Amino acid sequence: MTALLEIRGLTIDIARDEGPARVVDGIDLTVMAGESLGIVGESGCGKSLTMLSLVGLLPNRIRATAGSAMFGGKDLLKMTPGALRRVRGSEIGFIFQDPMTSLNPVIRIGDQIAEALIYQKGMTKPQAAIRAVELLALVGIPAPEDRAQAWPHELSGGMRQRVMIAMGLAGHPKLLIADEPTTALDVTIQAQIVDLVRDLKTRLNMSVVWITHDLALIAGLADRIAVLYAGTVVEDAPVAEIFDRPTHPYTRALLDSLPTLAGEAMSRLPSITGTPPEPGRRPPGCPFAPRCPLAQPACSDAVPKLAPVPGSDPRHRVACPIVIERAVA
Amino acid sequence: MTMIDTDDRPSGLWRDAWRRLRRNRLAVAGLFIIFGVVLVAVIGPWLSPYDFLSQNLDVRNQPPSASHWLGTDDLGRDVLARLMFGARTAFLVAIGVTVTAVFIGVSLGAVAGFFGGPFDRFVMWFTDITMSVPQLLLVVVINASLKQPISQWMEARYIETLNPIYRNSTLIDFVLVFGSMALISWPAYARLVRAQVLSVRNRPYVTAARALGLTNRIILTRYVLPNAMGPLIVAVSAGLGTAMVLESAFSFLGVGVTPPTPSWGNMISDGLRVWTNYPHLLVAPAAVLAVVTVAFNFLGDGLNDALNPKGQK
Amino acid sequence: MTALLEIRGLSKHFGLTLGAFGDRAATVRALDDFSVDIIEGETLSLVGESGCGKSTTGFCILNLHQPSGGSVKYKGQEIAGLDEAAMRPFRRDLQIVFQDPYSTLNPRMTIGEALSEPILFHGLASRAELPARVTDLLADVGMTPRFANRYPHELSGGQRQRVAIARALACQPRFIVCDEAISALDVSVQAQILNLLLDLREKYGLTYLFIAHDLAVVRHISNRVGVMYLGRLTELAPAGDLFARPLHPYTRALLSAVPKPDPRAPVNRQRLTGEVPSPLNPPAGCRFHTRCPIARDRCRAEVPEWRAVTPGHHIACHAVSRADKTNWEGQS
Repeated sequence: MTALLEIRGLTIDIARDEGPARVVDGIDLTVMAGESLGIVGESGCGKSLTMLSLVGLLPNRIRATAGSAMFGGKDLLKMTPGALRRVRGSEIGFIFQDPMTSLNPVIRIGDQIAEALIYQKGMTKPQAAIRAVELLALVGIPAPEDRAQAWPHELSGGMRQRVMIAMGLAGHPKLLIADEPTTALDVTIQAQIVDLVRDLKTRLNMSVVWITHDLALIAGLADRIAVLYAGTVVEDAPVAEIFDRPTHPYTRALLDSLPTLAGEAMSRLPSITGTPPEPGRRPPGCPFAPRCPLAQPACSDAVPKLAPVPGSDPRHRVACPIVIERAVA
Repeated sequence: MTMIDTDDRPSGLWRDAWRRLRRNRLAVAGLFIIFGVVLVAVIGPWLSPYDFLSQNLDVRNQPPSASHWLGTDDLGRDVLARLMFGARTAFLVAIGVTVTAVFIGVSLGAVAGFFGGPFDRFVMWFTDITMSVPQLLLVVVINASLKQPISQWMEARYIETLNPIYRNSTLIDFVLVFGSMALISWPAYARLVRAQVLSVRNRPYVTAARALGLTNRIILTRYVLPNAMGPLIVAVSAGLGTAMVLESAFSFLGVGVTPPTPSWGNMISDGLRVWTNYPHLLVAPAAVLAVVTVAFNFLGDGLNDALNPKGQK
Repeated sequence: MTALLEIRGLSKHFGLTLGAFGDRAATVRALDDFSVDIIEGETLSLVGESGCGKSTTGFCILNLHQPSGGSVKYKGQEIAGLDEAAMRPFRRDLQIVFQDPYSTLNPRMTIGEALSEPILFHGLASRAELPARVTDLLADVGMTPRFANRYPHELSGGQRQRVAIARALACQPRFIVCDEAISALDVSVQAQILNLLLDLREKYGLTYLFIAHDLAVVRHISNRVGVMYLGRLTELAPAGDLFARPLHPYTRALLSAVPKPDPRAPVNRQRLTGEVPSPLNPPAGCRFHTRCPIARDRCRAEVPEWRAVTPGHHIACHAVSRADKTNWEGQS
C-alpha cells in the first residue's frame, strides 16, 4: 500500500483579539490508498479543522500555520487557491454534516450536481445531466431521472445526504472526506448511509476519511482509527487494535464510558471527570494529563510524541510514555 | 463525587460588550463625537459671547473670523452660537422622539409578539397602515392641521391664566415635532421587537421558565425582553441619527422647528438660498449634521458587533 | 406500585396553513392516542426517530403544549388542558430538562440568579436561606458555589446541563422529563450526566420520563421503554425484555441499526428501507406498514390494537404474535 495523503506537523491557530489560540498542535496522519481512516474525537478536538485545512476551506481567522500535507506529490498547504479549487472538486471529495443547509435551495438537485461536472470536468450540459442521473443512481436514490428534477426541500434528510455524497463523488475523487455526515440523521437512516459509503469505497476504490465523535459507528466502517484529543493525535491503530487493546488512557476511558446495548442497566458508567480544554487554554505538556488517571508530574513537561506500542501490531502507535513503559515492563 | 470548580474572575455580559466596543476605533470615535456635541449643546451657549437670537445688522453675512469663528448670517447672528443651540434642538428632538417611539414600539411589539392572537394581528395591521402612509405627508398633515388649533387654545389659556408657559411657541413646535415624528418612527421599533420576541419566546430557557410556573409578566420582563434588547440598542443608536436627519429635513421644509429657534435643518435651508455668495452658511450646519449622523451610525455598527460577537451565541 | 401519572388517549394535532395564500389547511398528527401509566420511582423511556412524537408527549404531559385530547392525571388529579394559573401548583412537582445546553439557560442571568428565581417565586426558602440553598443545589449536581456568579456563556455544555438539572431540582420536583437531555453532549460528558441523573434519582426518589433516540443510553438508564413511530406507541416493555426479545418489527429494525462498538460485528444488519413518512399525511392502518418487512393487507387497512403479549409487554401489531414469532425470524 502506498500513502495517498501524508500530513506532517500540521498546526492550526485561531486568530483572536487576545492573541492566537492553538486548536491543532502538530498532527501527523497518513491515509493509505484504498484505506478508510476514522478520525474520532470530541467537539473542539480539531478533527474537522484538520481536514478542512487540506482543501483550503478553513473559516475566517483560522489558519494552518505550520506543517505539510503531501497529496499526489504536492503540498496541499502550499497550493494557490485556484489549484486547491481544482483538487477539491476532482481529487478530494467532501461531505458535510448538515445535509439540510449544504444544498442550494433554489437549484434543482440534478443541476447542482451537473454544475460541478461542467466546471470541474469540462463536460457539456447534456453530458453532465446524464452523468448527474448516473451519480444519483450510484448513491441509491430511487427513480434518479425524476429526482434530478426535484428541489432540495422536496427531499428528506437522508435523501439530501445521498445527494451530497453524489456531489462529493462527482469528480471521481481518490479521497472522500466525510465530516460527521450522519450526525443529523436518524439511526435507521444513519445505518443506510454508512452501508452506502462502505459499498462505494470498495466499488470506486477510494480512500475514505470519516470524521466522527461516535466510536461505535466507526467500528464497522474504518480500517484504521486515529483518536484526537485537544488538537493532538493520542492513538493511531488498526481498528481491531483500538477495540481489543485500547492503550491510551483517553481511548480507554472513551470506550469504557460508552453505554452499550449489552451493558448492565442502571449501573454507573465509568466516566472521565472534567471537560476537554478550550482552544487557547490547553494545559502544558500532555493535554489529557489533568483528566488522566495515570498522570504523573512529568506529563506536564512535554507534549508526548506518537510511538509504537511494544508487543502490538507495529502500526499501533500511542502518545503516552507511561503506557509504553508499562507495556515494556 | 469530585466537584467541578471555577475561578473567581469577574465577568459580565455588558462588561464584555463594552470591552469589545472599546476596541472598535470607529465606534469609539463616534462615541467621542457624540459626547463632544452633547457637551457643546449643554454648556456651549453659556460659553459663547453671543446670543443665538441677538441680531447685529452691522456684521451681516461675515465669513469666519477671530470674533465670529464660523461667521455670521444675514441678520448678523453668530453662526457658531446658532449651531450650538441647534445642537440642543437636534438632541432634544432626537432623544424625545426616540424615547417616545421606543416606548410605544417596545410595549406594543413585545406584547403582540409574546401573546400573539388577535392583538398581535391588530398591532401588525396598524403598523402596516402607518408605514404605508408617506412619512412626509403624515408629518405635514399633522403639523398643518394641529398647529393652528393648538396655538389658539394656548393663546386662550394664556389670556385665562396669564401663565407665561402658554406663550412659549417653541414648546408647541417641540410637542408637534416629537409627536408627529414619534408617530412615524414607532412601527419600525414595534416590528423589530416583535420579531425578536417571536424568536426568543420559544427558546428552551423561556419554556423552562414556564415549566417553573413563573407568571407571564416575569417571563416577559426577565426572560424574553432582556434577550430581545440587543438589536433594539443598535436600532436606537441608528434611530437617534435618523431622527436628527428627519428633524432637519422637516425644519428644512418648514414643517419642523419654526425660526427663529435655530435648528440645523432651518439653518441649512437658509444657507441654501445664499450658498453661492456665502457658502459658510450652508457648509457649517450641513457638515455638523453629517458628522453627527455618521458618528451615530459608527456607534450603531460598533454596538452591533459588540453585542453579537461572531462565534458566540 | 402506584401510578404517579395516568395518561389516557393523549393526542396533539397541530393545525397548519399551506399554500401561497394560506388557503389550504392541514393537520399534523404529532401524537395520537397515547396511553401509559408512569409508576412512582421508575424511569420510563420513549425512543423513536425524529417526528415520532416522543418530545411532543413530554410537552403535552407537562401542559407546555396544550393537548388536543385525552387525559393526564397526576396523583389522581386531572391536569391536561389546565390554564397557567391552575397549573402553577403542579409545576413545582413536574419539571423538565432540555436538550440544547446552549439555549437552556437565560444568557442574561447568572447561574445563581437562575437557581434563585424558582425558589423565591414558589416561596421555598427565605432570602436569608437562599445562598445556602443555591450552594446545596450546585453541590447536588457536582459544582462548587463559585459557579453562582458565572454567566452561562462561560460554562461548557456539560456544566450548563448540570445547571439545568439543578434548576429543575430547585422546585423539589417528583417527576422530571429529560427531553434528549444528554444527546447534544460529548461522549465523555454524556456518561457524567447519565451518572448524575442516576444518583439524583436515588437520592430524591425521582421519577423520570427519559426521551432519547440513543438506544444504548436508554438501555442503560430505563426500567421500561416505549417505542414510538409517527405519533403512536408501537411497543412498551420492561427494558431487559424489550432489548432481549423485541417483538414489533420496527423495534427490531431500530435495534439492528444501532452501531455496535465492535469491528467484527456482522455487517449485514436487517435494514429498514425508505424513510419515515410525513406526519401530515400518515399512512392508513398501521403507520409502519410502508416500511414493514412483514406487512399484510390487514396492516394497510386497520389500525392495530394495543395488546399485551406477555404481562407488561405490549405491542401494536397485527402481524406479530408469540406463535408466529419464530416464523418471522425465519424470513429475515
